[in-house]
This record gives sequence, structure tokens and C-alpha cells, in this order.
Amino acid sequence: MKPLQDRVDCDVHNPVLQMNQVSKRYPGMLAVDSVSLDIIAGEVHALLGENGAGKSTLMKMLAGSFNDYTGEIYIEGKKVNLHTPSMAKENGIAMIYQELSLAAPLSIADNILVGRLPKKMGFLIDSKKLQSETQKCLAKVGLDLDIHKPVSQLSPHEAQLVEIAKALGNNPRILVMDEPTSSLSHKEVERLFTIIEDLKKQGLAIIYISHHLPEIFRIADRVSVMRDGVKVFTSTIGEVTNEKLVQGMVGKKIDAFYHRKTQKQREVRFKVNGLNRYGFFKDISFEARKGEILGVAGLAGSGRTEIMRAISGIDPIDKGNLELDGKKFKPVSLQASMDLGICYLTEDRKKQGLFLRLDIKENILSTLIKRHTKGIIYSSHIGEKIPDSMIKKLEIMPSDESAQVSNLSGGNQQKILLAKCLAIEPKLLILDEPTRGVDIGAKQLIHETIIELARETGTTILLISGDLPELVHLSDRCIVIKDGQLIHEMKKEELNEEDILLRANGE
Amino acid sequence: MIKSNVQHDSTIQQEIVKMGQEKTEPQTRKNRGKIKISEFQIFAEKTGVYLIALLLIIIGGIYSDQFLTAENFLNITRNAALLGIVVAGASFVTYVGHYADLSIPAIIPLSGIVSVTLLPYGIYVAIIGGILAGTLIGVMNGYVVGYLKANPILWTLAVAFFMEGLMRFAMSNNQIYPDSSPGTSGESFVALYRSSFLGIPIYVIAMFLMIIASAYIYKKTRFGKEVKLVGSSYDVAEGSGINTRKTVFYSFLFTAFSASVAGIFITSFNKTGVYYLGQGYDFQAVTAIVLGGMTLSGGRGNIIGVLGGVFVIGLLANLMTFIGIHPFQQNIVIGTIFIFVVGLNQYQLRKMGRDHG
Repeated sequence: MKPLQDRVDCDVHNPVLQMNQVSKRYPGMLAVDSVSLDIIAGEVHALLGENGAGKSTLMKMLAGSFNDYTGEIYIEGKKVNLHTPSMAKENGIAMIYQELSLAAPLSIADNILVGRLPKKMGFLIDSKKLQSETQKCLAKVGLDLDIHKPVSQLSPHEAQLVEIAKALGNNPRILVMDEPTSSLSHKEVERLFTIIEDLKKQGLAIIYISHHLPEIFRIADRVSVMRDGVKVFTSTIGEVTNEKLVQGMVGKKIDAFYHRKTQKQREVRFKVNGLNRYGFFKDISFEARKGEILGVAGLAGSGRTEIMRAISGIDPIDKGNLELDGKKFKPVSLQASMDLGICYLTEDRKKQGLFLRLDIKENILSTLIKRHTKGIIYSSHIGEKIPDSMIKKLEIMPSDESAQVSNLSGGNQQKILLAKCLAIEPKLLILDEPTRGVDIGAKQLIHETIIELARETGTTILLISGDLPELVHLSDRCIVIKDGQLIHEMKKEELNEEDILLRANGE
Repeated sequence: MIKSNVQHDSTIQQEIVKMGQEKTEPQTRKNRGKIKISEFQIFAEKTGVYLIALLLIIIGGIYSDQFLTAENFLNITRNAALLGIVVAGASFVTYVGHYADLSIPAIIPLSGIVSVTLLPYGIYVAIIGGILAGTLIGVMNGYVVGYLKANPILWTLAVAFFMEGLMRFAMSNNQIYPDSSPGTSGESFVALYRSSFLGIPIYVIAMFLMIIASAYIYKKTRFGKEVKLVGSSYDVAEGSGINTRKTVFYSFLFTAFSASVAGIFITSFNKTGVYYLGQGYDFQAVTAIVLGGMTLSGGRGNIIGVLGGVFVIGLLANLMTFIGIHPFQQNIVIGTIFIFVVGLNQYQLRKMGRDHG
């Protein structure tokens, strides 16, 4: 890799932001390891890396979240300390996080002008100025909304733009966007990109964090790749390929293709007949065979998650029959379903999936407590070897079963979540977004594990995923849900991303 | 140390860039292995409260040569024992992440009053009846907080208020005395607090038995495992197939049971059944629990630490009496400790990286 400085234009010598050998240590772990990074005004600088590579920590450093980082940060050539969020703000750095930071019940104006509401007579709010200031901010992102509307009534896209407008309110020189497109539809992403282009022309430096490689080729001027807390390289976008970026992130060559043997048909394991929950879904009927991976496609809000939650006993069912291995059952509670061998992997691993403050071992064994109990006595020796074998099987890092889960990267956390489900050796495994927000290496391993589970132990898998390549790649068959109804079924050979998307959109 | 690391790793970084990303294992991997709460922190968490106890004993010894006598230590243990009986159960509510049971000051006298009332039917009926009556409050608390998801603090506070009123009303604001003439069950009831086995008061033995039982439940039973998970995260426990409501229910039940047992001894000691006998036990229990290393957010700590917390409070009260501090002022000291410990607790949690989660 040729360093950028060799073929520069003059701008590169005057970066708006310079990070020089910055490091940040968490208890027991060096999250960012002497990283140097230059950002030029008027560029979109993509920051790439697997989960746990240190990008978020690096950006938190910019946002003033840490007062104990080492190294130097220069803004427009001047050395600055970014020890508190307000120091970051004063130095013209604005952040837009993955999870929006807006206060939902408050109005757009209150959110955008929080902390600097225009006042008159010292304590009354100057509503005229409020109106004009807010509209000025909204105009920058091309929004025209009633400024008194509460944020809770906005669409995700509008809320995102309001968030950007809020960040722009302080006239920043550097704007950091962390996965800004993760909750947006295709059309909305395009609109966001137009706005980014516009901001770029106004001379803003934008640091853009994303997992989506196509997006980065669309929008970025330069790209930096991080791995294990270290910056691997920086390059202009014209000089890198998809493969090179992936290689930089993962550190090894990725085998994009894994072979799928065609499956011989096995007996039916799971049958759903006329399942209804009023207001959520209607007349859902399908069956799944032993060892089959049945994809469940649908847009967010189509009812796909609600159907799976009802099957696993979390939500109630109004009407319909369920059959597992020829026996009818009623899902009354998650516990009862788990006793039958049905397991649900939640899409929200932080709130519902993992005990973040406990260690890996306790997390993996948490689904097995009932099974390892005799009378009222829990015998810890029965499951003693399970965590270790799971750690090996799923290549969980660190391989120490007493490591606290909150300190692990997203990919490793997701693997532990999967291990929790595998530990009960389910007959029917429902996976809700099993690889969301997970890096490429972990994703591949999770895919392999899912396939192996279906083929070798005959587990039936229902797979919900908004990641279409994943759905196409893993599924033996796919059902499409729209507006709470099962509208289409696709065989393996018919599966392709475009068709699924068209069907899910009802075309 | 960080400095040397920086230099070391920066050379590696250059190397990686040069080698065109072929190097797969940068040096930082090595650091990943240590993502653990440090051994020292675990040690401090487990034994810290006993170190404080030791410190108090040393201070006491320096202050007065009367302090370091066997008699005074029996005194301290006696004073601490009743609180020890209460926390054997009350710690479950804290551990399961429901902060505290504030109805303890109502359960203690209820158990005593019912017991004294039942004395004409024999000492065993009286004791069992008293404990059952107190435990019933726990059944109610467990149902309302566990199954109907009421706020634990507000609900138990309301129960304490209501029960106090009810007891005063039922007793027409009078006290009830056991008939302790010789040969009656009343005599045995009053003797309960005063009898000992091998020179050790029965209620001290009861405390140790209950703490051991409690430790066993925490460590070895399914309920103990589930309490930890529910305390660590209610939603995640639910998603892991644990009957969270039942777990909360039993936590309140155990609390009420141990408060009822304490209530019998306290009433026996006072030779009186009256609504205010439980006063102060709610706050003292929480202070002992938190001082003993259980966090109010749940899922952390252990009962042996809590026992240490009980002894520290007992020692402190004893020491302050020695020095001649008035009981009212003693409350100020205990309150200050509570505020300090809760603050420290929060600081530790943050340091352990919970807010990075």
C-alpha cells in the first residue's frame, strides 16, 4: 500500500483533524492502540472494521467520552484536549450515533436547540427565534416539518435527519456518523447520501462508519481500516477493492463460497396450521422438515417477528394449531416451549439475550438450569464441560470462560447468544437476525454452525433475516410474510434477493 | 508502561501495513485474554467488610480495655444476631434486583402479636402460627410485586403503613403481654430468648443456621442460580426460559419468613407484642446487605459478605455505646455509612465497565 502522502493534493498537508498515536485502554484490554489518522475538510472518510476493532472507541474519544486517552489530537493544527463532551463540541466535533439520542416526547425544536434555547428577558423562551433557528437547521438537511411535532411521531428516517440537523446546529467542522443507514430503507439511504454530498461541499469533514461495503464505495473519498485496535491502512477509495477491504478487516482471506450439499427430504418435524393473533397476523400455515432451514422473509413490521414470538410462547395465540414431531402443543410460555425443545434466539441481544455483567460460562449455562437440577439441588458438574466445548466450537474470543460478557465485541457476544441456544440441543430453533451487527468473520462462523446444526443433528431452523444474501444463502426454502399474512413460498432453486424483496414489498 | 506499549505496537502496525495485511495476529490479541475483573477486586469484594470489622475491633481495643472481652463479644453477637436472622432472607430481595422489602418492620411485630395471641393453644402452635402469619405477608408481597409487577419499594412501604394501622386498630392501640406465670406456654415463650444451648443463646444458633441455609440456597439450589440470573437482568432471564415471577415471589416469601422468625425472638425478648417492635430493621437490613457487598441493582455479592455487614453494624453500635454516643446520633452514623457505601458501590460498578456494556 502506497501511503497517501505520496500522491497528495495540497489539502492533505492541512488536515482539519489529526490524531497522532492515540491509545485508549479499558480495564484489561487495549481497545485503541496508537492509531494515527488524518481527516481533511470536505472529504467523507469511511472507517471500517469488524466489531471490536476499536472504531467506536476511537470515535468516542473524539466525542470527548474519555479523559484518560493517550496521544495527541490536533484540530486545524492546534493541539486540543477532548476530555469531556463539551470540549469536543467547542472544538467543532459532532456525533451521530447508531441509536438516536433524541428525546422522543419533546418537540423537534426542543431537541434541536437543547441547551441553547433562545431566550428573552432572561428566562422566557423567544418563540419567534425558536421557529427561525429550528427551520434554519432543518433546511440544512432538506426537511420541512412542523417544529412543534414531537419526535416520537416522526418516521425513523425523519428522526435521523433531525438528529443530523441537531448535530449541525453547533456549526461543526467534523461530523461523525456511526452506521447512519442501519434503520433506513433503500430510498431513504439515497436521500441521506444526497445530504451528505451537500454537507461535503460546504466543507465539512465527515467520518462515516459502516459495515456496508457498497455504501462505502458509493459515498467515501478515503477509507481507513481498523483491526484489533490498530489501524491497518488508509487509502483513497479508487485504490481499493472490495476484497482488499475485507482482507484488511478480517486479516485472512475469506472464502466467500461455502458449499451446500443438496438435502434429501426428511420427515416433517414442525407444522403450523391456521395460526392467528388478531391485529398481528392471520391464517399462517406452513411446515418444516427435520434438518431444514426455512427462511422467513418480510419487511420490518410485516409480522414475521410476531409470528415467531407466538410460536415460541412469548406472545399469546388467538387461534390455530401447532404440531412438533406429530404431537400437538400449545405454546403457553417460553419456559414450556423450551421444555419441548423449541428455542428462540432474540434479535435484541443486549436487552433480552445476554447477561452482560456475568461471565461466558454463566451465560451459556443459563438456559440449562432446570435441566441440571435434581429435586431442588442444582448440580453444577453435569454441565461443566459445555461452556468450554462451545467456546472451542464457535471460536469465542477470549477463550476464557470466566471473561465478563460486556467487555466482548458484538461478534463474540452474538456467538455466546447462539451457544446459549445450542446448549439446550433444540429440536426447533428460531433465529431472529442471528448476524445483525456482526463482523464478517463471526458471521461466516455462525453461518457454518447453523448449516452444520441442521445437517448433522437434524434441527429444524426457522431463520428470520433482513440480510437478503444471508437468507438466500442459508435457506432451503423461504416463506414471505407481508401485512401479517404468508403470501408466498419459494423453493431453494427459486431463491434470489430481488424476488424476495419484490414479494416482500407486495409486487 | 503504556508508553512502552505504544512504541512496541506502532512498529507492529507499520509492519502490518508493509506486509499487506498478511499478518493475522496483531499483538493486541494477547491483551484480550485478560478481560476479567481483577483478582484484587474480587478479593476486596469478598473480604473488605471483614477488614472493616477488624479495624473497628482494633479501634475498640485501643479505646477501652473493656472492649476486647469475651463478654463484650457475646454482647455484640447477641445484638447482631437478630439482624442476621432478618438478612438471611431479606438479602434475596436485594439480590433478585428488587432493592429492599420495607414491610419488614410490620412483619416482625405481626409474627410476635399473632404468636402471643395463640399462646393458649400451646407454645408450638403459637410459634408456628406467628411465623405463618408473617410469611403470609410475604406471599402477598411476592404475588403483587412478582406477578402483578408493582414497584417493590412503594408496595412494601404501603404494606408497612397499612399493617401498622391494622395492628394498632386490632389491639385498640394496646400492647399484648404473654402470661408468663410458671408452667404456662407463656413462660416458655418468654424463656425462648433467654435460653441457650452449650452456653450459646438459641437465637444466635438460629442465626447461624439460617445464614448457612441461606448460603446453601444461594450456592447449590436451582432457585439460587435463578435468583442470580433474574437479579443480573430480569428481561434476559425471562428470555432464557426462567420463571422470573416465581423467583421474585419466593424472594419476598423468604424475606417474610426470616423476619417472622426474628419477630418471635424479638417479642420474646421484650415480653410484649406491640406494633413498633420492628422499627429500624428495614433500614439496618439494607445497610448490612449493601455494606456486605450486595449491590442494590442485584445479582452481585454473597451472604457471607452480608453476615460481615451485620457484624460491622453490631460492632459499630457497640463501639458507639462504649464511646458514649447517644442512640439518635448513632442513627446519623449508620445513615452516613449507608450513603457512603451506596455511592462507592455505584462508583465500582461504573469502573467495572458496566456503562460500556
